[in-house]
Amino acid sequence: MGLKTAFARLAAGAPARCFAIVGAGADEIAPWLRLDPELAIVDSPRAADVLLVLGRFNEDTLHAAAAVHDLVPPPRGVVSWSPGHEAARGLPFTDAVALSDPSEIGSAAVRLRDELLSGRRASSPDILPDVDPAPWRGVGPFGQGGAGMTGGVPYGRPLAGRANDRDGLKLDQILVRVGPFLPPFPPGLMLDVKIQGDVIQEVSMPAAALDDGSSVADEHHSSEAPGSTEAMTRFAAVQHDPFIAALMRPVPVADLELARARHHLAWLAEALRVSGLEAYGRRVLKLARTVRPEAAEPVDDLSRWLRRNLSLRWGTSGVGVVSASQAAALPGGPVARAAGDGRDVRSLDPAYQRLGFMPVVLEVGDALARWRLRVAEAQQALTLAKRSNGSVTTPSGLVEGLRGPMGARVSASTALVTMLPELLVGMEWGDAVTAVVSLDIDMAEAAVLHDVAAEGRAS
Amino acid sequence: MHGIAAALAIFFVTLVGFLILRASERHIAPSKSTAPARVPFTGGRAPDTHAWNRYHVRYYPMSLLFLAFDMEMVFMYPWAVVFVDEGLIALIEMLMFIVILLFGILYTWRERALEWA
Repeated sequence: MGLKTAFARLAAGAPARCFAIVGAGADEIAPWLRLDPELAIVDSPRAADVLLVLGRFNEDTLHAAAAVHDLVPPPRGVVSWSPGHEAARGLPFTDAVALSDPSEIGSAAVRLRDELLSGRRASSPDILPDVDPAPWRGVGPFGQGGAGMTGGVPYGRPLAGRANDRDGLKLDQILVRVGPFLPPFPPGLMLDVKIQGDVIQEVSMPAAALDDGSSVADEHHSSEAPGSTEAMTRFAAVQHDPFIAALMRPVPVADLELARARHHLAWLAEALRVSGLEAYGRRVLKLARTVRPEAAEPVDDLSRWLRRNLSLRWGTSGVGVVSASQAAALPGGPVARAAGDGRDVRSLDPAYQRLGFMPVVLEVGDALARWRLRVAEAQQALTLAKRSNGSVTTPSGLVEGLRGPMGARVSASTALVTMLPELLVGMEWGDAVTAVVSLDIDMAEAAVLHDVAAEGRAS
Repeated sequence: MHGIAAALAIFFVTLVGFLILRASERHIAPSKSTAPARVPFTGGRAPDTHAWNRYHVRYYPMSLLFLAFDMEMVFMYPWAVVFVDEGLIALIEMLMFIVILLFGILYTWRERALEWA
């Protein structure tokens, strides 16, 4: 017992290892958790002590959340937070520490971890039943033999099917159900990927793939009035988003552009982390939080460093090339602009025209081009914010958001998700991860715009 | 006779040590693997098939390349011994040898053997 106490005391000094599952309405919080010194965000629930449940979830994602919960090794605990002070509705975690203030997440996770390690609090029990999907039994009288390597159904699951590989061999092809909570893929993204070795041979999307956590509420839209309490709560949660606000009323250009620069830098921080440059990613994330239009030199330094970095160029050059025709099929946005398509809603706005706005356009369309374009756009956004001198936008029902044009019927993220199967087939797994991260997909975007449309009809 | 006694003693000490460790396992990490915890983590959805699968590892040309450079290292040990006496000639000879082997890398590169996919 003495040894255990000593270990618990040692562990109490370390940050709480947390795995975060992010639902709708939490994308404002989730990226910044990595800056919290009390938290160590890990990429697998198996490496975590505490499960962070942030935002709202629908039926499909709730089941996945329960499965992720059971993968966290005991003793484990759950910290949950949901936007708009609403209770974590329908969550299966009975003993979760529910917070109303997201700034308390770090201290709550550390406290919970300490209680778990010292035995003052019991581990959160399994949610799913402890039964294999099928008994492990072969064709022989003792359960031995049968097709495949072992015969039977190991751990209740049959062995993989066969398919041709590029050398004319017939080899096993396994179906990997990616998502909805597999970092660094965007939260909520679900893909059914067939891989042979680590080469992707087929990608499809499950029926619920384009849903996000909000669709529990979406289902009510048909029966309830658009201005229902539920829609209002969700709508209020995004009111502070300057891009949503710009859909309906004039907004200072400086606000929009600073938000854009911050978002692009935060995205870059995540992309750097995924590329293995975690410490540099954290520095960029700090920069994203503190950058001001008057002090944009660190962003220029960052851009220079990126241009010179050979290993990043090797990792991203030629990966996930979006062709000119694919770019034309997108509604616009950074991904299309990195592939030579210069459409940008800002070009039509009088305020931007007065500032002499010209969209940044690159030709290549690969992940490297998207990296460079976002950094160039962050620089441009800071310059625009600095020179805007209080000018405001003119609402036109369409605004150039972080990922492309946003409007009641337009969402760049939805178009990007639809493009994914075509883009990923034939890639190695590592390249596929780089490609998906470089697209910067937000699964919640479409649902939020749905709300704005509803709000527009109601008012 | 002493030898056998010593061997048996070592065997029994190891056996007892192993059994003690095995028995204390539960106390060190008091958790058991459950069915939901055995599922590979791919984002929260359960897989249809088991993860055991056969795939083309494509390591054959890579292993040939490894052998070539492994043998090169074997030649470098005696070379390092005589290097000080022989001087520049030895250096040039070793460089020629290494350059010839480098063609092997170029060949493997051209054959796409260094790519996994």
